[in-house]
Amino acid sequence: MRFLRKLLLPVLALASLALARSSTGDSVLILLDPSLKKENFSVFFGDLENKGYQLTFRSPKDATPEIIKDDVAQFAHVVVFAPNTKTFAADVTPQALVSLLSKNTNLLLALSPKQTPLTSLASEFSLILPPPGTPLISHFPKRDTPATVIPVDAPAAYDIISPNLPPVWFSGVPQALGNNPMLVPLLKAPTHAFASDGDSDSGADALVEAAEKSGEGLWAGSSLSLVTGFQALTNARATWVGGVEMFSDEFFNKEISKGVKSGNRQFASDVAAWTFQENHVLRIDTVEHHRVNETLPSETYTINDRVTYTAYISKYDSELDVWEPYSGIKDLQLEFTMLDPHIRTSLPPVAGEPGKYSVTFRVPDRHGVFKFVIDYKRKGWTYLTSSTVVPVVPPRHDEYPRFLSAAWPYYAGAFSTSAAFVLFVALWLAGDDREPKKSKGAKSE
Amino acid sequence: AYYETTSTRLKTIDAFLVFLMLSGIIQFLYCILITNFPFNAFLAGFASCVGQFVLAASLRSQVNPANRNEFKEVSPERAFAEFALSSIVLHFFVYNFLG
Repeated sequence: MRFLRKLLLPVLALASLALARSSTGDSVLILLDPSLKKENFSVFFGDLENKGYQLTFRSPKDATPEIIKDDVAQFAHVVVFAPNTKTFAADVTPQALVSLLSKNTNLLLALSPKQTPLTSLASEFSLILPPPGTPLISHFPKRDTPATVIPVDAPAAYDIISPNLPPVWFSGVPQALGNNPMLVPLLKAPTHAFASDGDSDSGADALVEAAEKSGEGLWAGSSLSLVTGFQALTNARATWVGGVEMFSDEFFNKEISKGVKSGNRQFASDVAAWTFQENHVLRIDTVEHHRVNETLPSETYTINDRVTYTAYISKYDSELDVWEPYSGIKDLQLEFTMLDPHIRTSLPPVAGEPGKYSVTFRVPDRHGVFKFVIDYKRKGWTYLTSSTVVPVVPPRHDEYPRFLSAAWPYYAGAFSTSAAFVLFVALWLAGDDREPKKSKGAKSE
Repeated sequence: AYYETTSTRLKTIDAFLVFLMLSGIIQFLYCILITNFPFNAFLAGFASCVGQFVLAASLRSQVNPANRNEFKEVSPERAFAEFALSSIVLHFFVYNFLG
């Protein structure tokens, strides 16, 4: 019996390693264009199913299954591979997709050189798209494929993409990034690529003129992003991909150079893993605050108190499907705020206690209603926000310091007056009332 | 002339008055020259000297035989009793405010 159980545990562990669970759910809705066949993406969808996701397929023009029903999101993740559809069904509007983000549903959206409903939605995410009909083109390196199919280097971006990947094949539109700090560019265009509306170079002069006249400049270079992630303030993630072909079997199996397969399969898996909240997912479990010598929080704090604030933070482990305490955040900050942060200090991890971050500080010399604020936003990681309101009161009349050394002359004066009074009374009562010698002109007081 | 013509009793009061005046002056000088923190302690100490001075001065005028015509209803013993009671009340206020 014991032996069997010993054997079972490693087998179970092996089985769970194949799974990589999402922290928000397993149901994925894939809006697949009817012109694209499911079999052409079998490797990508097969990898998703092996990780444990339940895939549901639907054409963008079908009415069911709806993405939002009765104001409740029906799926944990939605993938839109619809590059050729001009109009979607009634329930898939840009507003509906955006409201999915506030319902904690993650999105993977594919753009295309053709004009789709997603083209105007991209600008809401601070992504500036080139005019319709201008895919990315590169004439380098010399290769057999057409100029619109480009091998792109895929460096490890923000720890999301695996390091040392071979270049990936890309075909689609580039995106220029606006000034939004919530964007996470995952794949940058090669320096020699540009967006143009034709394969041949005969229209090159006209293209440059048009670019200069329009003031936008040439859509070129490595400032363009091809795969861009976006993490909303609700912590839902939406990834924009410049072209659907990156996920196709054809690109997965295409060789980058002699004998070296492209990195598309691993790249697609990394992008899906980040988008579907498998990795880089944090949460604050609890926060505590109390005076230094106590353990329970008090209802109010007094000015100049010494207060300890503790936060417990976990990270999601997708292989084991558990939240584990995580001490790897080195730059967490705490603010003690009343309209402005009066105190802004770092919240370092406590050595020896995983997941615990703690700091002790002195409450400032102002009374009022303060907040302990944690506001941690880093690209690629879940945003951590926490706000705890505490009142801070001035000292009560008996909490002020007493017997100050600066006041000793006054203490001495008051005591000496009392002592002299007692001495005087003693002298008066002990003595007799003896009249002095009467003399002429004794003045009265 | 003062030393011979005033009674021992009055001289005791006068000595008390001089002591209180000096104590008050010292506290006042400390307050303006060095620091007036904590102000409540200064007020308490100074008021203790001034208040006790006022009570002792009024005791002297009531007890002085030369003023018998002014204070016919007040016997010296009654004046002393009033002085003692009011001094105790003064000291109570002073220690309360001294902090």
